[in-house]
Amino acid sequence: MEETEQLVLDTAHRIFTDQCSAGIVNGSERGEVPDRLRQAILESGVTLAWVPEPAGGVGGSLALGFSLIRQAAEFALPVPLADTLVANLLLAESGLAATESWAALAFDGGELPLMVDGKVSGMVEAAAGASGAEVLVVPVSDKGAVRIATFAHAAVEVEHRESLAGEARSRITFRSVAPDQLSGPVDCMTADGLKQFCGLVRACQISGALEKITELTVGYVKERQQFGRPLGKFQAIQHKVADIAGEAALTGAAIDQAIRMVSAQYAPLRGGSQAFLALATAKVVASEAAGKVARDAHQAHGAMGFSYEYPLQQYSRRIWSWREEFGSEFYWSERLGMAVTSEIRAHEARHTTGSAWHMVSR
Amino acid sequence: MESVRFKFPAPEIDGSIDELRKEVRTFLDTEVRSGGFIPVTDCWCAGVDPEFSRKLGQKGWIGVTWPREYGGRELSALHRYVITEELLVAGAPVHAHWIADRQSGPLILATGTEDMKCNILPRIAAGECFVALGLSEPESGSDLASVRTRARKVDGGWEITGTKLWSSGAKHCQYMTVLARTSERDPNQRHEGLTQFLVPLNSTGVTVRGIRDMSGVEHFNESHFEKVFVPDDAVLGAVGAGWKQITSELALERSGPERFLSTFVALEKVLQQGASSITGHQAAVIGSLLARIRALRAMSLGVAALLGQGHSPEVEAALVKDLGTRLEQDIVERLREFWPVHLKQSYGDELQRLMSDSLLRQPSFTLRGGTNEVLKGIIARGMGLR
Repeated sequence: MEETEQLVLDTAHRIFTDQCSAGIVNGSERGEVPDRLRQAILESGVTLAWVPEPAGGVGGSLALGFSLIRQAAEFALPVPLADTLVANLLLAESGLAATESWAALAFDGGELPLMVDGKVSGMVEAAAGASGAEVLVVPVSDKGAVRIATFAHAAVEVEHRESLAGEARSRITFRSVAPDQLSGPVDCMTADGLKQFCGLVRACQISGALEKITELTVGYVKERQQFGRPLGKFQAIQHKVADIAGEAALTGAAIDQAIRMVSAQYAPLRGGSQAFLALATAKVVASEAAGKVARDAHQAHGAMGFSYEYPLQQYSRRIWSWREEFGSEFYWSERLGMAVTSEIRAHEARHTTGSAWHMVSR
Repeated sequence: MESVRFKFPAPEIDGSIDELRKEVRTFLDTEVRSGGFIPVTDCWCAGVDPEFSRKLGQKGWIGVTWPREYGGRELSALHRYVITEELLVAGAPVHAHWIADRQSGPLILATGTEDMKCNILPRIAAGECFVALGLSEPESGSDLASVRTRARKVDGGWEITGTKLWSSGAKHCQYMTVLARTSERDPNQRHEGLTQFLVPLNSTGVTVRGIRDMSGVEHFNESHFEKVFVPDDAVLGAVGAGWKQITSELALERSGPERFLSTFVALEKVLQQGASSITGHQAAVIGSLLARIRALRAMSLGVAALLGQGHSPEVEAALVKDLGTRLEQDIVERLREFWPVHLKQSYGDELQRLMSDSLLRQPSFTLRGGTNEVLKGIIARGMGLR
């Protein structure tokens, strides 16, 4: 990563360290809006990491944005940074002006709302970041093409709902409403490409949370004494920690590989077959790891980890939600398996030999 | 709180790597079609064919990273990685030369005499000389530091007495690297006083007996050394430094593609035969296995890159082996939902044969080269818990 990008990451890290304690995370779930944190993030400009410089953004690489997302997840950031980053990317890629405030992303991987005669109709079940966002960014479908629309909050029906960890996941209903802004058809985006990209965003968040859970667990079992010695001295506990470390490491490797692959794409939001394998792999591995790590980490923490006071629950609840969003491990596994078999069938039709290995090693 | 994040850097793949991969694939494809070998599961332990190893030697695919003067080609670790993974997924019979290519050669290169390097390495690279590991003993398994084989200093050399167990392929090998005690055991410094020797297996006093394993393959051996004389220059490295050498050797051994691809040949066969009628549920099971294999491969390549950069990623290597060997077992465990495995004989059905052989061989995956319990201990130590 370039030096300037590292600087952006360091800045964000400092803000998170200063302004996003475990108390802030718990407080914000109970309705205490973390104003200073929100303000500091906006002022630093990191929400514009994926917006080109000429459009007033940072002009950062995809890797920079994903690193920010992972880092934010290590703090269980109670602010929709990931979703605003993606929303701004969509605005920038479609030629609309990015927002310098918070954005909500009205896209959950399901069917896009339809554009008919300049008006939008449809429903998004779980829009992220919709509470406190100034602008709602919505990919819509217009005769099969994707266009990006924006709405003011008041123009649409918003039913407030939350993820398991209290992150806003609102149901938004569009009843033939005209957008504030509307892009032309965006060639470089497809609904599936967006879903794959957002799946990687969630996988990155899971990865960040797994790193933190590993750190919390190692710290806890070293401190906590039972039967006259630290828990970490018991082999049963050591093996749990090793399992946690393994899943976290495997997820990290899958994420890094996917980020490299998506960064090499000319159109990372179009959903090409090249990036698909790596993106599906990342979400399968991350979502599988989420369940295993949450179980092992809670077991190692005993009753303490089950309390609201102790920070572990902010991470386990998040990864339980994130593993489902934009496709669970079951969803992406099936698509991955189907993609491999259909390639093998295509070879058969041409009387050549296809192979799963060729796809694994690609 | 200390950081426990592991990094797995990207391999640097250039055109020559893809070229080599293509070349190896074409060769293996031709070999299978012409009946040169029948693909087997766990081929790096169960597929022994010295003739085939010689063919690979002639292609220049053994010892590729070693210096040219010792028969190598001075290619990168990634070139070697590509050759080995292509051999594994093809189920090629590579056991005869596997250990020598993977670890004995590098061990000789790092610790051997000039004479060994000049005389033995070129023969290994030619696929004509094979080396077995002499580590485990009847009373020493996971607790390797407890080995009882003794090397007694005599005039001009050493006299070795003891028994080595579970040495794969020793019957086909010309040499064994033997770990022996060269000074009295000190309970406070258990890892001291161990030395590695390169012992010619045709030495007077050596007997090698084959042991059949539960899958019916006779690759294990029990080797007895009765007052076997070896000259002073048979010592590998320094006298007393055996433990340190062994542990760095094992780090090389633990992160390779053979730690997650041993049973891939069965998964591939399932896809070849079943692709036309796959259900969504079957696709999901296969997809989840493939995703994990892809992620493990990224990890394993990352460890190779770290080794190439001069790091010693002992914990990362242990992570690859712990996760990878369990996955190798999972492949058959999950595929049997659709392809039951209960017939001992294959009756000409290649898929059945690969599946049942994979199942019968799978207990060894999480044992060989350090049990997963030992590996988890290494990981826990890396996390500061021991």
